[in-house]
Amino acid sequence: MLPNYKTSVKKVDNEDKMSGLAIFTGDIQMDGALFALPVRSTISYGKIKEIHVPTLPEGYYFISAKDIVKENVCNIIVSDWPVFADKETHYKGETMGLIIGPDKDVCIDLVNKTYADYEEYEPVYEMKNSYVHKEFKKGDPSLFNGAAKVYSEEFETGYQEQIYLETQAMLMYLDGDKITVKASMQCPFYIHKAICRTLGCKEDKVRVIQPAVGGAFGGKEHYPSLMAAQLATAIVKIKKPLFMCFDRHEDITFTTKRHPSKTNISAYLDKNNEIIGLKIHVGIDGGAYIGCSMVVLSRALIACTNTYTFANLEVSGDAYCTNKVPSAAYRGFGSPQSIFAIEMFMKHLAGFLRVDALEFRNKYLVKTGDITCTSGVFRDPIILKPLMDKAMEMSDYKRKREEYSKPGSLRGIGISTFLHGCGFTGSGESTIINAQLKIKKDKNGIVTFYTSQVDFGQGNRTTLKRIVVDTLGIPEDHVIYDAPDTDKTLSTGPTAASRTIIIVGGLCAKAAQHLKEIWVDGEEQEIVEPYVGPSYIKWDEDTMQGDAYPGYAWGVNIVEVEVDPVTYELSILGTWSTYDVGHAIDERILVGQADGGLAQALGWAYLENEVAENGVFKQTKMSDYVIPTSLDMPHMETAFIDNPFPYGAFGAKGAGELTFVGGAPALADALEQAIGKKVNKIPATPEFIMELMNDED
Amino acid sequence: MINHYVPTSLNDALKYLSTHDCYIMSGGTDLMVQKHVSSLVLPRFDKDVLYVGELKELQYIKEDKDGNILIGAETKYADLLLSPIVPEIYKTVIKEIASPNIRNMATMVGNIGNASPAGDSLVPLILNDAEVVLKSVNGERVLKVSEYILGVKKTARKNDEIIVEIRLLKQNLRYLYRKVGARKAESITKVSCLVGYQIKEKKLIDFRVAFGSVGVTIIRNLEIENKYKNIEVKDLDVDRVISDYYQLVTPIDDQRSNKEYRHKVAMNLLRKFLLELKGGIDE
Repeated sequence: MLPNYKTSVKKVDNEDKMSGLAIFTGDIQMDGALFALPVRSTISYGKIKEIHVPTLPEGYYFISAKDIVKENVCNIIVSDWPVFADKETHYKGETMGLIIGPDKDVCIDLVNKTYADYEEYEPVYEMKNSYVHKEFKKGDPSLFNGAAKVYSEEFETGYQEQIYLETQAMLMYLDGDKITVKASMQCPFYIHKAICRTLGCKEDKVRVIQPAVGGAFGGKEHYPSLMAAQLATAIVKIKKPLFMCFDRHEDITFTTKRHPSKTNISAYLDKNNEIIGLKIHVGIDGGAYIGCSMVVLSRALIACTNTYTFANLEVSGDAYCTNKVPSAAYRGFGSPQSIFAIEMFMKHLAGFLRVDALEFRNKYLVKTGDITCTSGVFRDPIILKPLMDKAMEMSDYKRKREEYSKPGSLRGIGISTFLHGCGFTGSGESTIINAQLKIKKDKNGIVTFYTSQVDFGQGNRTTLKRIVVDTLGIPEDHVIYDAPDTDKTLSTGPTAASRTIIIVGGLCAKAAQHLKEIWVDGEEQEIVEPYVGPSYIKWDEDTMQGDAYPGYAWGVNIVEVEVDPVTYELSILGTWSTYDVGHAIDERILVGQADGGLAQALGWAYLENEVAENGVFKQTKMSDYVIPTSLDMPHMETAFIDNPFPYGAFGAKGAGELTFVGGAPALADALEQAIGKKVNKIPATPEFIMELMNDED
Repeated sequence: MINHYVPTSLNDALKYLSTHDCYIMSGGTDLMVQKHVSSLVLPRFDKDVLYVGELKELQYIKEDKDGNILIGAETKYADLLLSPIVPEIYKTVIKEIASPNIRNMATMVGNIGNASPAGDSLVPLILNDAEVVLKSVNGERVLKVSEYILGVKKTARKNDEIIVEIRLLKQNLRYLYRKVGARKAESITKVSCLVGYQIKEKKLIDFRVAFGSVGVTIIRNLEIENKYKNIEVKDLDVDRVISDYYQLVTPIDDQRSNKEYRHKVAMNLLRKFLLELKGGIDE
C-alpha cells in the first residue's frame, strides 16, 4: 500500500532553520581555533620558481606542498588536482599554500605579502586541448553516407555559479589523535577519503560530522575534499583547530562551477525527410584539472538524445583542459547542456523541414522497450504522452502557441520534454558505491538508522525518516535519524546524482522491512542492509555501452515569456511542469525541488552571466552575478503523474536534477517564438536578445 | 589608528569636521561595502570616520512656505517612502533602489555623497534642480546637486563641510521614468531615463531629460532642453531630439552590461517616452 503523498509532514529541520537555531559550520565557536587563508597563484599557467613568505610572527604558519605527508593529490574521480600547487600552477587563483594564525586581520596582511616568482607559459582559455575523449555508436552510422540532406547546428551554454546560501566552510580539529571535520558538504565519505589519501592514514583516524548545510547544488561535492586535504596537511604539523571559510567573492572566483559547453549536431535525412541518424559532438570546458569532468562528459553524452530514439548514432565528446578554475558538479551534471542542444536542434530541424515542431518531435519520442543511445533498454513504463497532455492542458499551450504565432506578438510559449537517469551511471551503484545501511532497535522499540546523506535543504532528513516510519508503522518519535557522522554510519554513498531517494530511500525501505519481519519486542536488534541493484543493469564505461542508469525520471516544462522591445528584457509570465518521479513520497518537498530546480534552470537560461576574461571571472559579487529573485519568477504550477518504480522506496525515483534539465530549452523555445529568431546560445541576456532582434538575417 | 566619532549634535559634528579629514557615514550601506575586507574582520578605513546616521536633528521631512520639500540629511529612504509630502517621482525611483532592509538604513544624502554614475536618486534630483545645503563651522552654502557632483566619486564638498539638507524645489512636471537593471529587484542600474515635462494649451512649456549610468555622472543638457521649450507638442521632432542626445550618452563596458546595449536602450527609452509625451496631449 503506497502512502498518501498528498499529506506532507513538517520538515524535521524547519524550526531550527527558521528560528536561526540551526548550527552551521561558521557558527561553531572553538577555543584556540586558527584561521587558515589560501595563498593563491597570480598567473594562469607557469612554473612556480619560488614562494616568498614574509617573516611570520610567533604562532603563525605557512603550509605548502613541502608539508605534504604522503600524496599531493586531492582524491576526486580523476585525482589530477594537487592539494597545493607545487612546481606549476595551472589556473589563476590556485592554492599554493595556507597562511594560518590566530588573528585573521594579521593573516590577511601576511597573505598579501606572500608572493611567488614564476616562469610564465602560454595559457589556453579556449576549448581546444582535449584531456578526455569519449565516443560510441548506435546502429550503423555508415548509412549517413547515403543521406539526401544533412542539417547541422552548433549550441553553446555558459558557466553557472551555484550561489548556495552558505559559502564553503570547514572546521578541523583533533579529538585525541583523531582528525575531526565539521564542514559544509555533500559527501562526508569523500572528505574522509581525501584526508586518508593525502595523509596515508588509517580510516579510523578520521571522522567527518555534518553540521547544518546551507545549500550545495553540486558545488560541495568535490571542493570540500580539496579544503580538507589542505587543512589535514596543516593540522598534522600544527595540532590546533583550524577554520577555513570563504567570503562570497572568493567562493565565486575560485570554486567550481557548471561546465560551459559547445555542442555540434548533424542530422542525416533520407529523401523523405526521415532522420537516418544523428552525429553529435559535445565539448565541455573542464578547466585546469579533470577532477569529475570525465563523468560529467559521460552524463552529457548519455543524455544527448534526450527523450528521442534514433536508429543510428555517432556520438563523441571531449572535455577540454583550459587554464581556468576547474569545472565540476552542478545539478544535472552535464545533461542540461546536451539536452538544451538536442531540444533546440529538433525544433530547428522541424523548421528547416517546414513541419510542425511538436509533431516532428513527437514522431521520435521514446517508447517503452526502445533502445537507448548507449544500446541499453528503456524497460520501465514511459508516460511521456500523458505528461505532455497534462502540461499542455494546465498551461493552455495550444491556444497560446497559436495566438503568439502572430508576428510582433513579443510573447512566446515553449515546451521541452526531458529525462534524467537516477543514481550512479550504469551499475556503479553496485560496483563502485556499494551502499550499506545500518538500522538498529533498542529494548524500548526505539529505532535508529544512519545514512551518509546530507540534507542541504532538499529535505531528505524528513523524507528518508518518513520512509522508515511508514514502513515500520511505528510513531514518528520512535525513529531517530540524525545527520551523518562517519564514526556512526556506514557509507550509503554521496548526496549526489539524484540517488538519495531512488537508491538510499529504497535501501531504507528494504532495511526497515527486514527489521519489521524479525521484530521482537524488548530485544536489541541490528541489521546491516546492503544495496542490491537490478541484476539486468549492465554497463561498460570504457565503451559507453549498456544500460546507463538503474532508472529514469521524466518531465515536461512549459514556459511563457514576454520580451520588452524597448529594453530587450525577458519576463517569465508562467511555468507549468509535469513530472514522473515514480511515486511521490512527500509532494510539498517535491514542489520545493520543482520550483527551485526550474528557477535555477531559468536563471541559467536568461539571467546568470559568468564570463571569464584571461582566465578570471568578471562577475565575482552577487550584485554582478545575479540570480532570479522572487519578483523575477512567476507563479509556477507543477503536477506529478504516478508511475511507481519497482526498485525505489514506495516506487519513488529521483527528482533533484530532473527539475533542472528542461528549463533552458523550454525558455529558449518561448523566446524564439516571441522574437522570431533562433536561440542557439544561453544565457539569453538582454544584451544578447538585442543582438538577435537587430540581426537582419 | 583609525578613530570613529559619534557626535552628539550637528554643532559637535561640525567642530569635529573642522579639525579632521574623515569619512562621513550615514547609513553605511555603501561605505561598509567599499571598505569590507573579509568576514569576521573589521572593515579597513584609511581615514577617521564621523558617524552622523543617528543625528535626530537631521532627520526630518518638511514643507516650506513656497511648497519646497526640505529633507534632513539623515532621513532614511524608508521614511521618504512613507512620507505623504515627498513627491511621487522620488518614491517611484526609491522603490527600485536596493532592498527594503537596505532602504531602512540608506539615505538619499549618501547617494549624493557617493557620486556614483549609477546613483538612482541622482536622476530625479538633477532633473528637478534639487539643491543641497552644505554647512561648516564657517557658515552655510547652497549648491544644486548638479553643481555638487563633479565626476565619478568626485564632489564639491570641502573637507570641513557636511550636507545637512536636501531641498526638493517645487515642480510642476509630469514624469516618465524607467530603470533597467539585470533583474526586477535588487539590481544595479545598467541604464535609466527620466523625462520631465509640462504641457499647457498644447504647448511644451517645460521639457527635461536625464539619463543615469551612461556617463561619468547623470546626463542632463539644458541647451538641448531649451531648444524644445515653448514649441507646439505636435511639432516635437522625436528623431531630432534623439540625435541631439545621441553623442551625449557615453556608456562603458563593464561586468554588468556593454556600451552598445546601454546606448541603444537609452535611445529606445527616450523614443518611447517622447512618443508617449506626444500621444498624451489630448488627455
